[in-house]
Amino acid sequence: MSGPEYLVEMRGIVKKFPNVVANDNVSFTLRPGEVHALLGENGAGKSTLMNILYGIYRPDAGEIWVYGKKVDIRGPRDALALGIGMVHQQFKLIPVHTVAENVILGLREQGFVINERKINNELTQLIQRYGWTISPNSRVWQLSAGEKQQVELLKALYRKVRILILDEPTSVLTPQETVALFQTLRKMASQGLGVVLITHKLEEVFSVADRVTVMRAGRNVATKNVKETNIEELVELMIGRPLLKISSTRSLDTSKPVLEASGLVVLGDKGLEAVRNVSFKLYRGEILGIAGVSGNGQTELLEAIAGLRKIMRGKVLLDGVDITNRHPQKIIDAGVSYIPAEVLRYSAPEMTVAENLVLKAYRNHLFANSLMIRWRDVNRKAEELVKAFRIVTPTITNKVANLSGGNIQRLVLARELGTLPNTKVILAAYPTRGLDIASTEQIHQELVKRAEQGVAVLLVSEELEELMALSDRIMVMYRGEIVGVLRRGEYDVEEIGLMMTGVKRAEVSA
Amino acid sequence: MMLKLEKRGQFSRKFSAAVTVIFVAASFLVAGLIFEILGVRAVDVIARLFEVYLSERTLLEAALRGLPLGFAALGLTVAFKMNFWNIGAEGQIYLGMVAATGVVLLHAYYGLVPDFLVLPLMVVLSFLAGGLYCALPAFLKAKLGVNEILPTLMLNYVAYHFVNYLIHGPWRDPKGFGFPLSIVFPPYARLDTVLGHTAYIGVPAAFIIAGLLYGFIMYTPAGFEMRVLGQNYEAARYAGVRIGRTLLLGSLIAGGLAGLGGLTIVAGILGRMRPPSAYVGYGYTAIIIAFLAALNPWLAVPAAVFFGGLLVAGDVIQATLNLPFPAIQILQATIFLMIILGEFFKRYRLRVVI
Ligand SMILES: Nc1ncnc2c1ncn2[C@@H]1O[C@H](COP(=O)(O)OP(=O)(O)OP(=O)(O)O)[C@@H](O)[C@H]1O
Ligand SMILES: [Mg+2]
Repeated sequence: MSGPEYLVEMRGIVKKFPNVVANDNVSFTLRPGEVHALLGENGAGKSTLMNILYGIYRPDAGEIWVYGKKVDIRGPRDALALGIGMVHQQFKLIPVHTVAENVILGLREQGFVINERKINNELTQLIQRYGWTISPNSRVWQLSAGEKQQVELLKALYRKVRILILDEPTSVLTPQETVALFQTLRKMASQGLGVVLITHKLEEVFSVADRVTVMRAGRNVATKNVKETNIEELVELMIGRPLLKISSTRSLDTSKPVLEASGLVVLGDKGLEAVRNVSFKLYRGEILGIAGVSGNGQTELLEAIAGLRKIMRGKVLLDGVDITNRHPQKIIDAGVSYIPAEVLRYSAPEMTVAENLVLKAYRNHLFANSLMIRWRDVNRKAEELVKAFRIVTPTITNKVANLSGGNIQRLVLARELGTLPNTKVILAAYPTRGLDIASTEQIHQELVKRAEQGVAVLLVSEELEELMALSDRIMVMYRGEIVGVLRRGEYDVEEIGLMMTGVKRAEVSA
Repeated sequence: MMLKLEKRGQFSRKFSAAVTVIFVAASFLVAGLIFEILGVRAVDVIARLFEVYLSERTLLEAALRGLPLGFAALGLTVAFKMNFWNIGAEGQIYLGMVAATGVVLLHAYYGLVPDFLVLPLMVVLSFLAGGLYCALPAFLKAKLGVNEILPTLMLNYVAYHFVNYLIHGPWRDPKGFGFPLSIVFPPYARLDTVLGHTAYIGVPAAFIIAGLLYGFIMYTPAGFEMRVLGQNYEAARYAGVRIGRTLLLGSLIAGGLAGLGGLTIVAGILGRMRPPSAYVGYGYTAIIIAFLAALNPWLAVPAAVFFGGLLVAGDVIQATLNLPFPAIQILQATIFLMIILGEFFKRYRLRVVI
């Protein structure tokens, strides 16, 4: 196969936003047949660089060459016409439409004749070729995150892209889905496509990528062949120091639970029971991990405790007080903070960083009297939190929509961990999703610190390493039920993995 | 060659304001073209319009005619900010007129309170009448999840016929030779007797309300809740916002201000109640104004004066250029369409593809 050496060559790309230089003279190349990982801290400029390649932003300076020709990409249409496809950090699907409708959306105007039967056949073939589970006729709102991802890939494949950009595709995937995705990516690469994979997970670089480019503060600091580097070197390149190990010395007081759930039954979006008869006790200073493939009722469980989803049967007690189905405001005031799985779903994107930071605390006497919000106090707190949680934003009056994905996550963490007084329970769903390694480390330490101070943490995660490092106990959820509970010291990856597929543990203790 | 639409990325406030100005200017061109087709020199029409804002007498008149529009639009800035699509300012204006007139009639026949209390009572009751009329669909939305657009729209017709019934029936002036007119309001029930001209009290009042609304929206917890609710319903729930309560309060303010607009019609402009056909459409014009002002209460007041000027110009043009009044409605409608187009082009750009 002969052709130009590079599918894509970006030279000297500069992109400025008000008060931010998101890309500062960045160069980047993509070869045919390679998976090229793009690493870097939150706000380093990865998404911006790829959004430029996909035509969402226009660079202030620099050149883009595709297939050896200089091009001017003025919008996603130009990009698609050049065979460039992108799967965004946040999915851009229309929930009420079917998979097929989402795939053909935008094609109609391009003069394609829509033949539904033919399209469905083609889609079904593609789905089978990659061993996926979706059907062209399912509605998008019914799909899990992994399945939505498949729809996005399907969109790209159907448009016959030769250059595929994936922005943090695995942050919402289960480990199995990730493995499947990587097989797909390798398959695509072997057919000569170039794949750009933005990620924060270093293992992924080594399991799927051929080359890796590291970005830092808007510049590209290095491009390496994956075979010629190692984790330590990449960490050093990214954050300039090695990672710390988590350690905690805390003692549990198991005399009285802080949070006690008994026999909870909660319905999911599809109207089926998503949580079935779940009971557990959470003690002061304890981190209780919930393991499970996402979509097995974990999110619904947390939403129900937070008062955002109706509990059909069962009871939740907080310090002995019944908070079942209370108004979310009452539950917040009672000391429950909640880090949700989909942070954007629970943010006000057109409002400022400061406003989003006090989204829950605006009534609190720290920030308001009975009449007015004291914005001066809010702003002071916001400045403090922006520093403490290293939220990359030019000012606290910046719109949240302008933040990078990881920085929105940092903001939510800052809000839940930094603005609510007398927190007793932290409900944390995938708290480190989308965070770079340094921030992940920081959040882990923060959760441990809170536990040491006596706060009880309910931690939902798909990463067993994270769960095993932090939790005092791990319960495994499968199809809405708790299939077993393990204590620190009994953790065993294989066993937990098995339980996640529904195999019950012989001795169940909760 | 083909034209294609493409979504724009971000846009700044400056860009947004510039687009609005350009499109309002363009609406004059389009309307001008229509005038030319009607056989009138567009330059004349537009000149007449701008003259309205240049002489003190007509500018006062413009401010006066703009008052009901302005109050209703002020209310709409609140409603729309919390994503409550109140199309019912029209009906809420009518209810405000009914309440104000009701107070006057009751007082005239039964003498309930000292004269100097009549005007304050009219203010309070017209606010409440409009507010409750708007809170009704908000209640339906909060309790039953009924979308507000149809109920608020339908209630306009109910209110229209209610006013019509009153003015042709029980509220008709018995000494009025059978004309559908109420009695003339006594001086203590009229806004123009306070400071000599209704605009002298109305415009400052509108600015004060704009300031209060701005403060309310930006500085109070309740205003914050409305903004969050308007941004993202899920986020509001998550933040612990009492959504039903917020909807009710916001709609009460929105409808109440429209009700005050109704008060300015009967107690300021007309000095009595007339059949609704005399002021039909104010509530819809207020929607245009709220959008022209980009939901900013400060801008809503000047925008309302601008539209009041259009109404005055309509009379002038009718008299001097021999054009029917609907001609001025053409101008209004073009401005509205152009604002909508402008909003569209803020989000999309046109591209020529060869
Ligand atoms: N539309 C925008 N307007 C203003 N600033 C922006 C915009 N998009 C990005 N930025 C800023 O540019 C910088 C780079 O953002 P970018 O989204 O490229 O980061 P990233 O490397 O993808 O980070 P993450 O890992 O958190 O997704 C950030 O400081 C961000 O706040
Ligand atoms: Mg990003």
